[in-house]
Amino acid sequence: MDQDRGAELFRQVVVPHLGDALALARWLVGNSNDAEDIVQDACMRAFSAIGGYRGGSARAWLLTIVRNTALSWLAKQRSSSLVMVGDLADIDEVSAATQAGHADLQSTPESELIRRADQQTVTAAVAALTLPTREVLVLRDVNGLSYKEIAEVLKLPIGTVMSRLARGRQQLAAVVRRVDQ
Amino acid sequence: MSRFITEEELAALNALVDGELDAREATAWSARVAADLELAAARDAIQATRDAVGALDRPDVSEEFLKRIEALAVPTAPVRMRPARDWAEGWQSIAAAVVITALVASSATYYLASPRVASFEMLVADAHRRSLLAASPVDVLSSDRHTVKPWLDARIGISPPAPDLAGQGYPLVGGRVDVLGREPLPTLVYRHNEHTISVVARPQSGPNISPTTLASGGYNMVEWSGNGFAFTAASDLEATELATFVSDYQTAAAAP
Repeated sequence: MDQDRGAELFRQVVVPHLGDALALARWLVGNSNDAEDIVQDACMRAFSAIGGYRGGSARAWLLTIVRNTALSWLAKQRSSSLVMVGDLADIDEVSAATQAGHADLQSTPESELIRRADQQTVTAAVAALTLPTREVLVLRDVNGLSYKEIAEVLKLPIGTVMSRLARGRQQLAAVVRRVDQ
Repeated sequence: MSRFITEEELAALNALVDGELDAREATAWSARVAADLELAAARDAIQATRDAVGALDRPDVSEEFLKRIEALAVPTAPVRMRPARDWAEGWQSIAAAVVITALVASSATYYLASPRVASFEMLVADAHRRSLLAASPVDVLSSDRHTVKPWLDARIGISPPAPDLAGQGYPLVGGRVDVLGREPLPTLVYRHNEHTISVVARPQSGPNISPTTLASGGYNMVEWSGNGFAFTAASDLEATELATFVSDYQTAAAAP
């Protein structure tokens, strides 16, 4: 394929979905720095494979590559302990907590602190799901793919996608109920 | 009373919430949910979970990351020019000449129009002044170097020594990132009585240089280097007090 046309297609197909790609990679591997490396690697693969893109959902096409890149990365890292979520966010929490201790200089509104704490609780619960359940849930509720697209990305029957999604949401429901109260 | 909801029912409720049922099925399931409190409760729980996960913060696509990705798609320079492209090459060199002329002309105008190129001390003095005008002179507030160092490290990957000098009368207040001449740099903030001291650290590999006192932008300043950094401290402290602070910092930073 002509280089210029490839570059143009890359800008149309890949670049608009970088946010989704980063979100998926972060949920699969557990931290933002590795997620950026994985998405960059996936984008290189996407660019060299752009000629094989045959229309259809560009997001699902890119996320398939991101997911496969993330899984190979995970396979390499398997020995070390994995999947803890939050890095910069954690440090922000620490500084927010420290700031809360200095009442005279506190600038973060209480509602914002509560929102962050709730987010952390839900985030931890999602991170605690098993990888097969988590990836279905994230592709659906974070990336907004349809069941059919998820089935294509994961190469699974649609029935399996549905049962994993139902199970994942059921496991989270108790945590969400606590946070909402 | 409470009854068991089967996996099939659960999958159908999820599909209903996600809008994945066809019109006929959706109508049928909506009717069942309306008539069954247990099903309605299960449907609400699914909806609440879906909303909570959808509301989680998403990572930002930083400007820097976007540039890195876009750069992947820049066509690589051809290894050799094919004869058919010769006309293009000639045209390109003319274009390049035009661009270079325009750049030189415009930067010359810019250079003549700007009164002077800001020195690094002036940039530090400006950053210090700006921090005093802001609501808080620090981005991370902590007297604990174990918070300040990882915060700076995670933000910009540079973390200078951040000893707490409360014992010597200069408590560590926290840290911030200053962008000086387009370069994000870590700044440590100390306090002495009512005075604030900013210490900007630039990574460097040169020899250690002992403190030099200077003044810029109405502040007393001291420059020195060591521990792999070139430091610039700025404050409205008296020059002698600032010099004492710097020597205390050096002693503490050199300690293991």
